[in-house]
Amino acid sequence: MKEWIHLRIRRQDGPETPPYWQTFRLPYAPDQNVVSVLMCLRENPMTTDGRQVEPVAWDHNCMEEVCGSCAMSINGVPRPSCSALIDDLEQPIVLEPLPKFPVVRDLLVDRARMDAGLRRVKAWIEIDGIWDIHEGAPRISPAEWSASYLYSRCMSCGCCMAACPQFGPQSDFIGPAPLAQVRLMNAHPTGRYDKTERLHRIMASGGLSDCGNAQNCVRVCPKEIPLTTAIGELGRQTTLQSLKDLFGQG
Amino acid sequence: MKIPLQAIVIGGGLGGLWAALRIADAGFPLQLFSLFEVKRSHSVCAQGGINAVLDTKGERDSVRQHIIDTIKGGEYLANQPPIKSLCEHAPGLIRTFERMGVTFSRTSEGILDQRLFGGVKNRRTCFAGASTGQQLLYGVDQQVRRLESLGRIEKFEWWEFLSLLQDADGTCRGIVAMDLRSLEVRAFPAEVVVLATGGFGQLYAPKTTTSTNCTGAAASRCYQQGARFANAEFFQFHPTAMLGNDKTRLMSEAARGEGGRIWVPRNPGEHRPPRSIPEGERFYFLEEFFPAYGNTVARDEAARAIWRVTRQMGLGIGGSDRVYLDLTHLDRGFVSKRLGAILDIYRKFAGTDPLNAPMEIFPAAHYPMGGLWVDFERDASGGMRPGSPSNQATNIPGLYACGECDYAYHGANRLGANSLLSASFSGRVAGESAVSYLKGLVRDSAVPSERMLRAEVERQTAINQAFMESDGPENPYRLHRELGELMTSKVGVVRTNPDLEMALEELQRLRERLRSVHLGDSRTWANQTLAFTRQLRDMIELAMAVARSALERDECRGAHYKAAFKIPIPDGTFPGDPEYEDYRMRWKTNNDRWLKTSVAEWTPDGPRIRYEEVDLSVYPPTDPRDYR
Amino acid sequence: MNASLDHIHFLLRRLHSLFGLIPIGAFLTFHLWENSQSRFGADHYNLEVVSALQEMNYLPFIELFVIALPLLLHAAYGLAISGQMRAELSRYPYARNRFYWLQRISGIGILAFLLFHVGTTRIQGLWQPAVRDDLYGHMQTLLTDPLVFGLYTLGLLLSVFHLVNGLSTMAIVWGLTTSAQAQRLFGYLCIGLGLLLGAIGIHGLLGFLP
Ligand SMILES: Cc1cc2nc3c(=O)[nH]c(=O)nc-3n(C[C@H](O)[C@H](O)[C@H](O)COP(=O)(O)OP(=O)(O)OC[C@H]3O[C@@H](n4cnc5c(N)ncnc54)[C@H](O)[C@@H]3O)c2cc1C
Ligand code: HEM
Ligand code: HEM
Ligand code: SF4
Ligand code: F3S
Ligand code: FES
Repeated sequence: MKEWIHLRIRRQDGPETPPYWQTFRLPYAPDQNVVSVLMCLRENPMTTDGRQVEPVAWDHNCMEEVCGSCAMSINGVPRPSCSALIDDLEQPIVLEPLPKFPVVRDLLVDRARMDAGLRRVKAWIEIDGIWDIHEGAPRISPAEWSASYLYSRCMSCGCCMAACPQFGPQSDFIGPAPLAQVRLMNAHPTGRYDKTERLHRIMASGGLSDCGNAQNCVRVCPKEIPLTTAIGELGRQTTLQSLKDLFGQG
Repeated sequence: MKIPLQAIVIGGGLGGLWAALRIADAGFPLQLFSLFEVKRSHSVCAQGGINAVLDTKGERDSVRQHIIDTIKGGEYLANQPPIKSLCEHAPGLIRTFERMGVTFSRTSEGILDQRLFGGVKNRRTCFAGASTGQQLLYGVDQQVRRLESLGRIEKFEWWEFLSLLQDADGTCRGIVAMDLRSLEVRAFPAEVVVLATGGFGQLYAPKTTTSTNCTGAAASRCYQQGARFANAEFFQFHPTAMLGNDKTRLMSEAARGEGGRIWVPRNPGEHRPPRSIPEGERFYFLEEFFPAYGNTVARDEAARAIWRVTRQMGLGIGGSDRVYLDLTHLDRGFVSKRLGAILDIYRKFAGTDPLNAPMEIFPAAHYPMGGLWVDFERDASGGMRPGSPSNQATNIPGLYACGECDYAYHGANRLGANSLLSASFSGRVAGESAVSYLKGLVRDSAVPSERMLRAEVERQTAINQAFMESDGPENPYRLHRELGELMTSKVGVVRTNPDLEMALEELQRLRERLRSVHLGDSRTWANQTLAFTRQLRDMIELAMAVARSALERDECRGAHYKAAFKIPIPDGTFPGDPEYEDYRMRWKTNNDRWLKTSVAEWTPDGPRIRYEEVDLSVYPPTDPRDYR
Repeated sequence: MNASLDHIHFLLRRLHSLFGLIPIGAFLTFHLWENSQSRFGADHYNLEVVSALQEMNYLPFIELFVIALPLLLHAAYGLAISGQMRAELSRYPYARNRFYWLQRISGIGILAFLLFHVGTTRIQGLWQPAVRDDLYGHMQTLLTDPLVFGLYTLGLLLSVFHLVNGLSTMAIVWGLTTSAQAQRLFGYLCIGLGLLLGAIGIHGLLGFLP
């Protein structure tokens, strides 16, 4: 039986300051995950060599892998930390902020770019208003539903973006998660009305074509969202859209 | 020049976003505050579903029945006109959600599917796979983003509400908030404020199913500034939550429904792995305590039985709080098919497979029925008057509350799948009321006096300063753990007056000890410990209101249980029997005394509790609740 | 204006993708077939195959517009695209990620190879008519140098990989394959094609050896 949990954490005091590493050691307990260990650590943040340091800043909320707050790089791979069980991890457990996103402090990052992406692709249904119009949306077959439901579970954790070699400060690629939302919205019976507009938005620079089909995104997504299927389907939709633009009417 | 009237919504869960949409739709400039990106709010955790009578299952379900189920579920403690409106508007809300693109599960005909949920006889719960709350929240989140891109909503994510700005006469004139990154404390003047900051399960941490941000601090701050806090003693405990040192995760009741058995080893010193313990040495206590229902006994009964076995009989697994929820005797294929989602969660977070070893569970704090006191205006039909500025209004003029942080819809116990509904509905109503309030204002300037703004900002900055400089032996996170343990053991599933008195004393001590806290983080950038310690301070104040309200209510009602005051139905008797009628009389007398809303008011020396009549105009209590 | 023309970025990317297949990919396939004729000896290669091509009408035009220009455009834009890559192979050791990386690295490799290859064949032939008259002999001299032979093999393999992997991603880009399974199956098809082209190419190289 293990006696200790060893952590190696990349820390950073602020967005502009250089990162540094610290190692910690906590007594082993069963049923722990990375968030629960960080919670124990913040009660007594002492490094392995006995220095009292500031508690590690990080983000968490639901603790059941549905809010997307707690994503970070764990042993090199981006994933939600609340569902990363200690017993399954190789030690020392190396924690780094979620790659590609600007660090706020320690393991806390700023994912505003995801939100901007969603705004950019108009990831919503244009409804007249939130009043009751005494009618729901048109019917949706169970088959269509189950295809769409997969995409509706995206919790904007950003893991897919962090793992995408095309996404990062070096490019203006919007990233896989917002693209998958275009797939979702375009399939909705009324969301379809704005399909052309959404497609045009992802046909611009930084859009769909900046995906290089590395497919890391789909491998790391904790919610198993079929991102590459969405990318393929959007490929088809944009192909047809451009043909329509070039050769159809208007 | 006339400055447009400014509105503020605090909270980005279902309640807050509905309010925000409603206000922005009316054209008022709106600022939306949240501790983090709104789509990460606790509302995403709800899995089960949302109630609305659509009557698509050939069961002759009716809105009237939904109203009655809700009223009875809450043991008559909730005002009935709001419940009436809630249930009447539920189908319309669902239709609107559907238009927003929420991926509700479908029937083969392509319409919304509905399923059965705890406590009712009809299939009336809409759901979206196993992530209903997430889907509903994303629906409104997307609409907020739409309005944001049109410049009609301005989001302040990563900002924490600290306090209300109040006029000399107490009217709310905006808020003071803190940027959780730069720690800047700033005043935001506004004419109307809607609070939608969720529940306070974290008082019971880690034995709670709620998110770590459900601290109730925001509601507590309003309470300390004069808002009334109602029915604080009513907290629903979910009997089956799975182990966890960080939080306990909900295990749906379906596990028991499909044949799961709950047991503990008879021998408290048992060390063998569960599956090698012979049948004869297992204590299937639910089956023994409730021969008629066995493992499917109602939520609160199950929770109390588990409590009794672990806390009073000391039979929890290995001396802990946990009991086994066993599926291993069932057919593997059947279990995988019927309970796939549960199995996944358990595997994911416990790392073991419930098909191979029994799950370990404990009752956990799940949902507070209590919250900020809010008003309503009854109309001729017996519901809430649409558009009345009184609906969802707290006793502070200009401050509205909705969602889990109000107390309005659930009485003494919440009906399953009714809170997503109440959060959405009350959010929309609060938004509407805020609009009516704004339209009715005679003032035309959103700018209160500069002096008042400065004074409140300084007061809040001083609190930060004091915590930053404080240097004592106490660690805020450890204090929080102590608070959770205290609340769980003394203000939990089963309560006694001596325990509650002790809890109040202990809370008083925690309050003192917080004064000698040491943050251990002196940075003035993204200092989470500072923010947390501030929240802890307000959690303790709220905990006192909970404990005090619980102490004063000497009865058993809904989730509030004091064995000493239990009025049991005499065994084997039915209406008409003299013994039953005698029981009915005692039940009525008890109602005369206790069928009242408890209202806590903050004073520096602790909460003061008053009682208020309940509006029973829709379905007065004639018969006791009887689930036999 | 027309919406798609507004989004010139999109058209450029699709043009780049298309060029990879037609004409460049088509040329490579043909080119490898052409060179596989080396096996039938100098006469057959020089007289039947090469001269037939050399005598084609509008040859310079074809060479310029069907081969050189698309290749240059594809290469130039490809280099620009490659600049966006931040592949972390050790973090994400998945096959598709490696292929993604190799697609870009091979592109650069091909570019280097082509400078050398075309420089020592077609360009050199411009002022040394002897080279053009006996291409077989010329290639034989070149390829008997083990170093050059090695370079050719590498250039060949990189090109074939780049083509067939490009083909498999093209199928996603254009929306031919959408489901994970379709993408996998088409991937196997491309691997098969790659093995075939590779074999033809190696076969051709060996045919030049004395
Ligand atoms: C595990 C679980 C399962 C559930 N399942 C169901 C179900 O199946 N059906 C059902 O009907 N209900 C269910 N519920 C209950 C339901 O999810 C909640 O009651 C409801 O979502 C509450 O929504 P809300 O908008 O009030 O608050 P929340 O969603 O909690 O949102 C609170 C918001 O307030 C903000 N906030 C808080 N404090 C501050 C502050 N100081 N400053 C600024 N912002 C602040 C937060 O950022 C957040 O955006 C479940 C609850 C739990 C715990
Ligand atoms: C298999 C080994 C190869 C051999 C033996 C070979 C041989 C030749 C020869 C003899 C020529 C000169 C043709 C002429 O001058 O008319 C040539 C031209 C050329 N080769 Fe190759 N080649 C090989 C592989 C490749 C590869 C892998 C590529 C990459 C795509 C390539 C691209 C070209 C190009 C672009 C030209 C110039 C074509 C023109 O403008 O006519 N070759 N090759
Ligand atoms: C000479 C230098 C070359 C460079 C730098 C280069 C670069 C690239 C790059 C970076 C891509 C990936 C584009 C994307 O996925 O978005 C690519 C795709 C492709 N390339 Fe090249 N390439 C070169 C030559 C060639 C040659 C010689 C061929 C043909 C044999 C070729 C065929 C293709 C094909 C078919 C694709 C697929 C396009 C797609 O995925 O849509 N390339 N190339
Ligand atoms: S697609 Fe998956 S990995 Fe990406 S943000 Fe959504 S949930 Fe996270
Ligand atoms: S990893 Fe990136 S390159 Fe495309 S397939 Fe996924 S978005
Ligand atoms: S805390 Fe919500 S996903 Fe981990």
